[in-house]
Amino acid sequence: MSYLSTHVRVVGALLVREMATRFGSKPGGYIWALLDPAAHILLMTFIFRAIARAPALGTSFALFFATGYIAFQFYQAMTSYLNSAVRANKALLSYPNVAPIDTIVARFVLQVCTTTLVAFIVLGTIVATMRVDTDLHWPAILEAIAMACLFGLGVAMINAVLFLKYPLYEQVFSIVNRPLFMISGVFFLPDSIPAPYRDFLLINPLVHIVMVFRKGFYPGYRAIGLDMTYLYGIAFLTLFAGMLVFTFSRKTLRNE
Amino acid sequence: MIRFEQATKYARTKGIKKPIIEDASLTLNRGKSVGLLGRNGAGKSTLLRLIAGATKLDGGRIIRRGKISWPLGFAGSFQGTMTGEQNVRFVARIYGIDTEELIAYVEDFAELGPFFKAPVGTYSSGMKARLAFGLSMGVNFDYYLVDEITAVGDTNFKKKCQAIFQTKLQDSDVIMVSHSTSTIRDYCDCGVVLENGKLTYYEDVEDAIRAHDRNMKGN
Repeated sequence: MSYLSTHVRVVGALLVREMATRFGSKPGGYIWALLDPAAHILLMTFIFRAIARAPALGTSFALFFATGYIAFQFYQAMTSYLNSAVRANKALLSYPNVAPIDTIVARFVLQVCTTTLVAFIVLGTIVATMRVDTDLHWPAILEAIAMACLFGLGVAMINAVLFLKYPLYEQVFSIVNRPLFMISGVFFLPDSIPAPYRDFLLINPLVHIVMVFRKGFYPGYRAIGLDMTYLYGIAFLTLFAGMLVFTFSRKTLRNE
Repeated sequence: MIRFEQATKYARTKGIKKPIIEDASLTLNRGKSVGLLGRNGAGKSTLLRLIAGATKLDGGRIIRRGKISWPLGFAGSFQGTMTGEQNVRFVARIYGIDTEELIAYVEDFAELGPFFKAPVGTYSSGMKARLAFGLSMGVNFDYYLVDEITAVGDTNFKKKCQAIFQTKLQDSDVIMVSHSTSTIRDYCDCGVVLENGKLTYYEDVEDAIRAHDRNMKGN
């Protein structure tokens, strides 16, 4: 019991510490966590409106792009923030009370809250200002968010260990991870990709996450190729692998 | 009480594997302060981290009865981007003690003035030591693990440390690493010498110092 309450206390303290140091040093503070993705979506919407005649789904460029970007962001912002959770709190790990997993939990909680807030503000504004009424299908939205977060958590837990053990892997990961945005179906639909390439594309679990998320906003969207069993399988397998690697590398995480 | 039971720990760096302690068994009882002696690089600081539980053993176990502090080193366990005050708040929170009370105590002890609200990364080593020392003294522990910290700071600070330590030592013990034998003599009743992965306990601190000197000359 006291074991658990220590963890709760430590995670609480780390949350305050993350809030204070992540945004505390910049003027505007936490506002930037919200402003940054909103500005990105706005910019991309303008660019795509200039290139394309109509969005692949519905009539609103903003909604099409924002649904893709935010679903992707639930994974992307998570991993990029959590990958360094342990390393960034290295000094604080010299307190025996503070366990490496606490740093992960604290950042996970903070990032889920932040991206959810961004989603509410950005998508809420778009949906509210659209001329056509949108029927939201909440189960699909929540399912997509849950899968993105768990998959991101799993990847980050593996990375937290491997980045410390193999600096070369960090370089490789960042090269592989960078074009992920392009091949996750954020600004196109996998349906529009010709046959052999579409199957390659569907290996990427993020494509499925984006598809489920969009199903929550576009009731008529058929999401061809969506495989929920595959998505659940990959997400939980990754999370399990992450927990395993993390548990067996406690010494590496502590000593580094 | 702190008891090592067949404790083993290796230091690993770039393929070099060197034992810090190998199959060491030892009991440290309450009521006695311990001086920890050993040559440079023998692993005294790692040993303190093991006692604190901030580093895990490779084999065996350490049984701890009583509240043990984190290892107090002059490098500090501070997050450089956080201010002194934020670091103090953090410690108060993770140990579940009154935040404002601890802040008031540390602010008064460390005498950092306006720097208390500046990032720790901007501190000098003396300032860090003052903050670290004040912070740990503000939390009540049964054992204080001290790693050379009294070596930093001016005479004024040393005097202050001594005064506060004397009152603390009434009901707490200290396990201290220091290269200064006079500091060890001042604070410790008994001694442990760490040499070639072995821990040897000496009831009298003078015996421990002699044994340590012998080890030094033998090389």
